[in-house]
Amino acid sequence: MATPITAGAVAGEYMETFVIVEWRVGVGDTVAEGDVLLTIETAKAAVDIEAPSAGVVSAIFAEADSEVPAAAVLCLIGKDSSDVGYDGDDAPVKGSSLSSAPAPAMMVAERAAEAPRAAALSARIIASPAARRAASAAGVDLRAVRASSPSGRIKLRDVSGASQSVPAFAAPVSAGLPADENGPLEVHRSGAKGGTPVFMIHGFASDSLSWYPLDRQLAKDHPVYRLDLPNHGTSPKRQIGSFANLVREVRDAFDTLGLDGAHVIGHSLGGALALALADTRPRKLASLTLFAPGGLGPKVNGDFISGIARASRPDSLAAWLKVMVHDQKLIDPAFANAAFAARADGNLRAAQSHMGETLFADGTQSFDLVAALHRLECPTRIIWGRKDRVLDWHDALQAPGHVGLHFLPDVGHVPQLEAPDLSLGIISALIKSV
Amino acid sequence: MTVMRYAEALNAALREEMQRDPSVFLFGEDIGRYGGVFKVSKGLRDEFGDARVRDTPISEQALTAMAVTAAMSGTRPVLEIMYADFLPLSLDALVNQASVFTYLWEGQVDIPFVLRTQGGGGVGTGAQHAKSLDAMVCHIPGIKVVAPATPADAKGLLKSAIRDRQPVVFLEHKLLYNTRGEVPDGDDVLVPIGKAKTVVEGKHVSIFASSKMVIEAENAAKLLAKDGVEAEVIDLRTLRPLDLDAIRRSIAKTNHAVVVNEGWTFCGYASELSATIMEHCFDDLDAPVARVAMPDMAIPYSEPLEMAVLPNAVKIAAAAKKALA
Amino acid sequence: MINAPSTDELKDIHHKMVVTRELEEVLGAYAKEGKTRGPIHRCDGQEAVGVAACAALRADDYVCTTHRGHHVYVGKGLTTRGIVAEIFGRETGYCKGRGGHMLLGDVKTGMLGGNAIVGAGIPAATGMALSMQILKQDRVSMVVFGDGAAQTGICHEAMNMAGLWKLPVIFVLENNQYGLTVRQEVQSPVEDLSVRAAGYAMPGEIVDGNDVEAVYRAVAAAAERARRGDGPTLIEAKTYRVKGFSTSDMGGYQSEEEMAPWLERDPIKLSAEKLSALVGADTVAAIEAAARAEVAQAFETALSDPFPTFEIHAPSAAYSETK
Repeated sequence: MATPITAGAVAGEYMETFVIVEWRVGVGDTVAEGDVLLTIETAKAAVDIEAPSAGVVSAIFAEADSEVPAAAVLCLIGKDSSDVGYDGDDAPVKGSSLSSAPAPAMMVAERAAEAPRAAALSARIIASPAARRAASAAGVDLRAVRASSPSGRIKLRDVSGASQSVPAFAAPVSAGLPADENGPLEVHRSGAKGGTPVFMIHGFASDSLSWYPLDRQLAKDHPVYRLDLPNHGTSPKRQIGSFANLVREVRDAFDTLGLDGAHVIGHSLGGALALALADTRPRKLASLTLFAPGGLGPKVNGDFISGIARASRPDSLAAWLKVMVHDQKLIDPAFANAAFAARADGNLRAAQSHMGETLFADGTQSFDLVAALHRLECPTRIIWGRKDRVLDWHDALQAPGHVGLHFLPDVGHVPQLEAPDLSLGIISALIKSV
Repeated sequence: MTVMRYAEALNAALREEMQRDPSVFLFGEDIGRYGGVFKVSKGLRDEFGDARVRDTPISEQALTAMAVTAAMSGTRPVLEIMYADFLPLSLDALVNQASVFTYLWEGQVDIPFVLRTQGGGGVGTGAQHAKSLDAMVCHIPGIKVVAPATPADAKGLLKSAIRDRQPVVFLEHKLLYNTRGEVPDGDDVLVPIGKAKTVVEGKHVSIFASSKMVIEAENAAKLLAKDGVEAEVIDLRTLRPLDLDAIRRSIAKTNHAVVVNEGWTFCGYASELSATIMEHCFDDLDAPVARVAMPDMAIPYSEPLEMAVLPNAVKIAAAAKKALA
Repeated sequence: MINAPSTDELKDIHHKMVVTRELEEVLGAYAKEGKTRGPIHRCDGQEAVGVAACAALRADDYVCTTHRGHHVYVGKGLTTRGIVAEIFGRETGYCKGRGGHMLLGDVKTGMLGGNAIVGAGIPAATGMALSMQILKQDRVSMVVFGDGAAQTGICHEAMNMAGLWKLPVIFVLENNQYGLTVRQEVQSPVEDLSVRAAGYAMPGEIVDGNDVEAVYRAVAAAAERARRGDGPTLIEAKTYRVKGFSTSDMGGYQSEEEMAPWLERDPIKLSAEKLSALVGADTVAAIEAAARAEVAQAFETALSDPFPTFEIHAPSAAYSETK
């Protein structure tokens, strides 16, 4: 029987996954007790995993740079390199990369999150004082009790015979907000060296990847800069106090690039931000394209905002993604899994939830950019689906005469996804006209 | 009941106690002609005269020391220290005089003075005018410390503080002065020192707070309610002597505790609450006590920076969720 | 002469100075044998300041003093037995053994009190004077403080307010030349600290601190002024600390040449000479013998008094009462 190696408690109390930074051993290597097997990165810290006993590394289940579930078996240490049987090897928690195969990995991660963590790895029983007292009173052996908490600690609710009403959200959810991260916003650059630049701002609960395939086409003739908003994509996670603060962050990122005469494209919240950017940097913009922009009226689908940000499983995410589009077939499981893979980080979801609560408090868009729309000097197009269920396309009717309006039939909140060719055509014509 | 602002409630308490007892007098910087920078003593100089509502030089050290001995010798001084950040200047009088002689000269003299001050951040007053130094004064034996959150408690506790035989540090919050609330009518409606109040009933997690943090805790309870969590919010009202019974009762019911204080975290008031709960409620705990307090650093000026360090409803709710998970 | 002490008062002052000296001599002997607890700060050579200044006050006036305040304790009328009992930590001490020799207080005699934070007595007396003014009483408060305390910031704050509000307080600056081991000229740029009174719009006066009559007259005049509502007075009594800082002082910084003229002008010796001229040497000798007997009796009684028993101090408790 080989010994399965997991990250155990060092994976971090509230982490669902971690990243393998480096393997220090290979299959067939002989190790002594205490030898470092691999280094993982968890909760922004690198941690070495040591061999609990001497032996031979008989199997390695996860590659360096891959993201694996917290409870995953990372490798085996056996008597020799053929010793690969171990207790629980039918359990589907072998390390597997999230990036290479998002869908099954997600399922694995979910099951892993349900499994007791620290308690299983230690002979010492980790239980809260209240749980211990209740177990003692009820004659319950804590060794037979499973911890439901992500902390791995047996709580009162886990002790049968103990009566305690459990809060509705007892499933492992975001453990509060992560600490604020510093640093500039991420801007992904691609495309041609020359040509007028294109600057793209995605919407709420989305990220810079969502511009595909629009950005690929534009990149043929232009340098394309795709921004990740704070708490989105690969940008830092930090609390956003207000819409004005968010505008400031976007403007800082834009200013840092030093772009002159950029064609700015924004979607939804990103549309509102693009408008605000145009309002304060009028001479830096060559044109403006707004997909279903926010900020032109108070109405917003508040359930969508909180629902999509919180969705902690591909299924629940898919349900909200379907609200975004008119043609429901667009949201197939592969799409949902891929979208979820980008949102697997619980901290990111928690940070987005909080950002959504701040920006869309009371299910309302409290920032008003109608006046900014009227002050616009650069050529501008608004593209909006008539079947939008997130924002109200009628808001666009407040636009002044020089803004071109395109209302697309049988299209929802994401014209660039639902009608990519038409969207690209409108943008290309606009850019050429400048 | 009369609806009044927190500052007005304090003003009413001062007026009523000065009318009731001629040995009560007020002194402090800018409190007389100007009525106090937060207008708590507005109009009192006109009613009671310069001698009993006295503008002072900027001399916090001596003023506090004088409050101690004036109290020993027949009067009931109410000293206003403009900002809690200046409390370090008052410390010798509190630590080496008031505290010491409360014990050493017990039975010979009472020391009935009130030191009123206000602290707290949120309005860009910067690192020297926004602190909450609750822990610093709560460390001192023989000194009572109260920190009311509502106009009714502000009035009732200030009246109790003025009538108390011991020194009372009365902590106000600059963001509470304009809050409104119902205040019971009547000159003799007192709020007892040393009694906490349950402001939100709940059964899943207890949140202990004082002063403005009570409002944040109440908002946290609303956030938590969306997730089906019924949080109980206890307004401590008195920080020293602490109402241990109220803490015990609540934790026996919820098994989870979040302790909140706007002051620094390390060696802070929240730390003391946490230690108290560990000692007295250990077997009732189903999760470690969660502290929500100011990071251990000076308070920055710029709005996003200041907001980042201040404890708030979101941080409290997050701590509660973590405890409950 | 205006404000001069009567012969009876001079006799009483002499008696109390000898009690103070004898008390300290006996304490010193006990300290050498290791029978005292903590440091003892002796005021040998400074007795005239504390005793004569207190003699010029009324019984209901308040006085605050320093960690070196035996002369004020005795001068304000505390019993020798109560003082000794407190110094030896007994239940019968003025603070039931809670305070010790530096932190003695007795509200009945208006002695509130000793204070071992240098400078703390200055705002203490000023605060009492504020109380007296607000209550419209004709009492005064007095603080006896040293040249070291005169350099604290709180001294400035308190004197400024006393001058500003014309508070009935008397500042007796007992200039014994030393702040712990450091001479006054190393601590202040002015030789006569009384010049500072001008900055607070109050009279400043220098008196011979070893001359009981000079001290008495200055304090009596200041008390009159204060009771009239004319405000505070600063009296700088020049004297000298002949016994070092405390029982734990290793010495070595006060030369014999420096000390000799002050020993020559010992206040008790000067007082005895003056009093002998008034009442005869026999009477003076009888006063001194009575004083020594009183001290001997006080030690005998106090040392057989019981120690206090420890109790938690409820008013200092961190938690409100639980039921």
